Amino acid sequence: MNPEVDTILSLTAQKIVAGLGEHGQAFAQGTAGLIAMMLSLSAKEYDRAADIRVVENADLRSLFAELAPQAGDAGLKGKLEAAAKGTDASLRIGVLNANNDALRRLLTEAMIDSEDRNATTALKRIWAVLQAMAARRLVTL
Amino acid sequence: MNELADKLQRYLRGKLDAPELIVSNLARIPGGASRETYRFRAHYDGRNRGLILRRDPPASLIETERAAEYRAYDAFHGLGLPVPAPVALELDPAPLERPFFIMEEIENCQAGVILSPDPYGEHREAIGKQFFSVLGKIASYDPRDIGLSDFEGETDIHDVAMHEVARWEKVVLEDEREPQPIVRAAIRWLKRNPPPPAQRIAVVHGDYRTGNFLFDQDGTIRAILDWEMAHLGDPLEDLGWAIDPLWSGGNTDMAGGMLPRDEAIALWQKASGLRVEPEALFWWEIFASMKGAAIWISAAREYAQGSNTDPINAFSGWYCLAFHNKVLADRLGGLS
Repeated sequence: MNPEVDTILSLTAQKIVAGLGEHGQAFAQGTAGLIAMMLSLSAKEYDRAADIRVVENADLRSLFAELAPQAGDAGLKGKLEAAAKGTDASLRIGVLNANNDALRRLLTEAMIDSEDRNATTALKRIWAVLQAMAARRLVTL
Repeated sequence: MNELADKLQRYLRGKLDAPELIVSNLARIPGGASRETYRFRAHYDGRNRGLILRRDPPASLIETERAAEYRAYDAFHGLGLPVPAPVALELDPAPLERPFFIMEEIENCQAGVILSPDPYGEHREAIGKQFFSVLGKIASYDPRDIGLSDFEGETDIHDVAMHEVARWEKVVLEDEREPQPIVRAAIRWLKRNPPPPAQRIAVVHGDYRTGNFLFDQDGTIRAILDWEMAHLGDPLEDLGWAIDPLWSGGNTDMAGGMLPRDEAIALWQKASGLRVEPEALFWWEIFASMKGAAIWISAAREYAQGSNTDPINAFSGWYCLAFHNKVLADRLGGLS
């Protein structure tokens, strides 16, 4: 999720300290309402953030293990095989995000390769993973 | 706030040739992350006039052209559409520190709230009928006939779709702070599956949706607002955006959360004089969700880098982006 929880909490604290009343009561009420909603969402995100990333990273590594044998070129095959063997060394959000970013970049590379080769079975599998990722990251109020 | 009111009063006294003019009740209105919006009263020549000030923020969510926005208000107000009357446009930052424009306030009205389960209550159907008819009407005008033919946008009916894809792809590439495989896949799909040529080039509002119009207690739409993304393009762009599931809480059967989809499209066709081919509209619906994602990606960047810390930008980066990723994944994944 971007911005991350720590950024939201930090900037929200600054906004509160600076005072919400500068632009009048209606604006202050609207801003306070949004801040309250973001704090509530941040509380939910705090609970699920690591879980989402661990599961997503595992799904992507498993996908890459399936896709590697069919990759269109040796370079991509090697990257997919290496990524499939990766692990998350820490549960810190920053570490999980860095791993997740690398895996997502490789996913786009693998997807373009499958699109170029019209590899329908691989694409179906990739979209299934993307759908699961999107559903998992959906924000409920 | 007093300092801004003083400056505004000084400006309007000169602009409206009303040396006794008094500005009162200046207050900022929540929302509108791309412009600072203020409500105020102007007392002059025996009048007590409600006005709205729209001022450029220090950093803008999406770079928009306030002169074009002002001219869109002017043109469509003049055509008798429910659009507030523009009062003044000032591009010189000197009077209020940043460029701004002023328009009349449409009083005793409300806007629908996107996250509300029932924003229009008993007036839902009536408002929906006006909403899609007015949108069709906007699409019916030739920009050359209403003085807006120099608006930004592609005017070749064969190139307009890819012009818009390129516009929003640039935003994604410049502003994404984490890899966006679904949005990138959507952009590739849009490029590989171009829609039919536009039937007509028209002024596209660019953000025609729940939350961007005002209605009164009788269920009459009184003002179409937020023309800041207006440009020339395929009218189906606005229709695809207006029926995006984000504005109907995910209900794809109720266009804009107001009318059954088929009825909304029929009203739009009647008012615009254009046909809606399902394949073309599907392409513009995918485009709409991609464009939405691009806007939310940009909002998240503005917030995270501290250039616009309005909490609506954090909310957009979370809720709205996740929503549009889900819509795109489900729709495009369904084609695989």
